[in-house]
Amino acid sequence: MADKAALNRSVQCGVNLHHKATAVCLQTQRLMFFSLENPIISTITFKEPMSSIFLLLTLAMTPSDTMTYSAMQKLVPASIRGWQASEPARFYSGREIFQYMDGAGEVYLAYGFSRLLVQRYARPQQEEILVEIFDMGLPRNAFGAFTNMQGRGPAVAIGQAAEYKSGLLSFWRGRFFVCVMIDNENEEATKAVFDLGSRIAESIGDDGPIPSLLHVLPQELFELQTLRYFFRHEILNIHFYVADKNIFRLNESTDAVLVRLKSDKSHLLLIQYPSSKEAAAAYADFTASYLPDARAEGWIQTENKKWTGCSVHQKYVLAVFDAVTLADAQNLLATLQRILP
Amino acid sequence: MSESSMTRRDFLRTTAAAAVVGTAGISLLAQPDAQKKANVVLIRHQHVVDSEGKLNPKILEEMFDESMATFFRTKNAGDAWKKIVKPGDVVGIKTNVWRYLRTPLELEQVMKTRIMAVGVQEKDIAIDDRGILSNPVFARATALINVRPMRAHNWSGVGGCLKNYIMFTPNPPDYHPDSCIDLGALWKLPAVEGKTRLNVLLMLTPQFHCLGPHHFDKQFTWAYNGIIVGTDPVAVDAVGLKIIEAQRKLFFKEDSPMRPPVRHIKAAEEKHGIGIANLAAIEIVRLGWKEDSLI
Repeated sequence: MADKAALNRSVQCGVNLHHKATAVCLQTQRLMFFSLENPIISTITFKEPMSSIFLLLTLAMTPSDTMTYSAMQKLVPASIRGWQASEPARFYSGREIFQYMDGAGEVYLAYGFSRLLVQRYARPQQEEILVEIFDMGLPRNAFGAFTNMQGRGPAVAIGQAAEYKSGLLSFWRGRFFVCVMIDNENEEATKAVFDLGSRIAESIGDDGPIPSLLHVLPQELFELQTLRYFFRHEILNIHFYVADKNIFRLNESTDAVLVRLKSDKSHLLLIQYPSSKEAAAAYADFTASYLPDARAEGWIQTENKKWTGCSVHQKYVLAVFDAVTLADAQNLLATLQRILP
Repeated sequence: MSESSMTRRDFLRTTAAAAVVGTAGISLLAQPDAQKKANVVLIRHQHVVDSEGKLNPKILEEMFDESMATFFRTKNAGDAWKKIVKPGDVVGIKTNVWRYLRTPLELEQVMKTRIMAVGVQEKDIAIDDRGILSNPVFARATALINVRPMRAHNWSGVGGCLKNYIMFTPNPPDYHPDSCIDLGALWKLPAVEGKTRLNVLLMLTPQFHCLGPHHFDKQFTWAYNGIIVGTDPVAVDAVGLKIIEAQRKLFFKEDSPMRPPVRHIKAAEEKHGIGIANLAAIEIVRLGWKEDSLI
């Protein structure tokens, strides 16, 4: 078993770890990964020379699209407005997120979650402030995680987009999605939440691009707070349940946007596939599974007396759910097809 | 796709027949099956939570005692507890400590006091949530008491008594697929099967809507001021779900299914056979405040 002595030995060996809370124990060609917060994560036995292992290990632990723990730690200040960091930051990578939250962790994993920093702040006779910084690996993932929660409350000017309500500030910038929260609001604690959020957003630095699919969607059609961006069917089902199976063939290479229309509160789903061939295959799956009784035009009045239809245009699939009239829904898809690239 | 898929339209067909959209396929029209009928007690008190959200522990204790005596058809709560625990039992009280909506500490202590009054030694009682797998009392538990608040959940639709047992598995993600549809299987784990003597679903200030993981907003809670008590976790959850769905319809002023749809309650009956989800087969004994009961 790994222990502190082993940790010290590995550090004394000069292993160049980019992972502040993790060390590697080298014992007779065996690598044991462990962290200061968790017991041994895994043990691997190698037959290769150790010099190769050092290189592999360093590469494996510092993927280019994620930030090291020590770098993440620099995103949060030690104190703010009289609140002090009350304990060392905690870090969770990949499926370790389930040690911090149960089923809700699946939402972040569905958005490509990479690493989480959790930092608590305390001040005597004041609310505890909890900070969660999710390194989502890519800006589109962070944007998606933000849209998954958007609509909670008023927008505020922090990061690339932010909302604050009832003690919870959420925002995204670059590849980070951030939550700063207190359980019970008061003026001083709320100011601290905003200042902390602003400091973290500044520390993150650069903005990230918004998925290009967003640019083809006319904003006047829908309520912005209903916009959800995703690429996994599990997230689609959270916001609008379509089917237990992935009948739109969503995956990491697709981009999808779900919005609720201002006009009749129907739902519009727009999906971009890597190729027109993949779009056509997804369209065929959806119509076969969901609209087997539709007419050739691809429209059906479903059991709730509303209209659902779907069309495919080059590498895009468009679907409208629960439209009040067939004519309006058909006009909408026709309009979108004209403006899509 | 070769495999058939359950779609939104299947739900619409079921719920259209019941004139309710979004009940996740829990039939309201099926005929009660005398062989499978379940009972729950729903007790409410107008003042157990005040207008500022403050809990009145004394009223809560009285409500809980009354519900126990009614459910177990005894003269008082003490006699009810004697029906479900014995002096030699080792009792684990599975609570829920979610920071925004936890099981009230006062209720946990009432339960512990009542169990000790039966003759169970204090060292043989534990109250725990996330630490149950490493809790030595839970490891040797002969009886379990399950208590938690009802709330909307971003992955399973709702978190109720069925979901409260996910901490009994060392690998909770195994139960996450398909909106946690197989939570009922938890109840067949060796540490659980046959041990649960009581399920208490707290409907004091249920959360009926959430946006995102661990999202809590008082806007999406209301003072229902109720407790649902039973021995069937599926029936208890099915009744709680019906109530918060009704509240969603009132709040959003349209049919607004849980997001994602709740699938694990029906599956707990139909696939795992651990209780009754069919509301028509559940007898609800109503006590106390009746206004806006929503069911």
